[in-house]
Amino acid sequence: MAKTILAVDDSASIRQMVAFTLKGAGYEVIQAVDGQDALDKANTHKVNLVLTDINMPRMDGLQLLELLRQLSHYKTIPILMLTTESGNEIKAKGRAAGATGWLVKPFDPKRLLEVIGKVIG
Amino acid sequence: MADVQSGKGGIDDQIANEIMPVVLNRTLCNVEADEYFMGIKGELNQIDRIVSDAVNNLVSNFRYISELTKSHHEMVLAIERMAAPDSSKPIIELLGKQMIIADKIEQELEMAVTSLQFGDLVAQLLAHTSHQVEVLNIELQRIDQQGNWEHGKKNLIAIHEEISRVVDVANAKSKRKPVVQQGMQMGDIELF
Repeated sequence: MAKTILAVDDSASIRQMVAFTLKGAGYEVIQAVDGQDALDKANTHKVNLVLTDINMPRMDGLQLLELLRQLSHYKTIPILMLTTESGNEIKAKGRAAGATGWLVKPFDPKRLLEVIGKVIG
Repeated sequence: MADVQSGKGGIDDQIANEIMPVVLNRTLCNVEADEYFMGIKGELNQIDRIVSDAVNNLVSNFRYISELTKSHHEMVLAIERMAAPDSSKPIIELLGKQMIIADKIEQELEMAVTSLQFGDLVAQLLAHTSHQVEVLNIELQRIDQQGNWEHGKKNLIAIHEEISRVVDVANAKSKRKPVVQQGMQMGDIELF
């Protein structure tokens, strides 16, 4: 059975590029437009990995990360941050909040799939 | 009484001749500055709309090309299966070339996935710049309102000092720059 990835980004083009890459590799993809939308979908779908942006309206990626980690199902699910941000301070915040990894945009499809393969098992 | 009237008349004259032109000039400056900043924000919005439109079209074209490539690839494989029993050398050679082309198209599409993310980077930079312009406008208006214009023109040094202070405040109020990338090379990856 295909594993399901929740892709969160307020940019439609990024969501489409992520979905194109992941679907091509056989993953199921659920898309969310911001942290709040992702949280709603995370509660109603069984997700194997979350790939989220940081700077988004309504709820940003770090808030989403913190809230997901409080849910029992998401305590151990890999959560990767995919963002334009690359500063050490914000990375440290993500790490402290429970992020599994940090990918700086733009992503390369092959490398993204390698990383996902590594963390999703 | 005459003195009072005269005095009153003197204040009215002063308002009419000295203060009002300064206040009017200040109001005009405010309107002009506001229009100037609105113009910049308008242009930034225009760039954002054009880039978004272009990205949407490019992504749509990309998906269509990708689907066509997949169909083409499947067709080549089907032809290869049909041609194989006859072992027709020229056909097999042609199909081999077709497969090489299909692989190259796939590689190019993968590279396009990375490049097509530029819209997100540009949109974030535009939002950041727009915010900076807005903060600068607000701060300039604030010092303009606080300025002691009624007592005459400020000297040049004082004006320079105020502008420097405004720029400092605007810098301090600016959000963290969300994009530091200088190009579209793949970003770093770090697993914790």
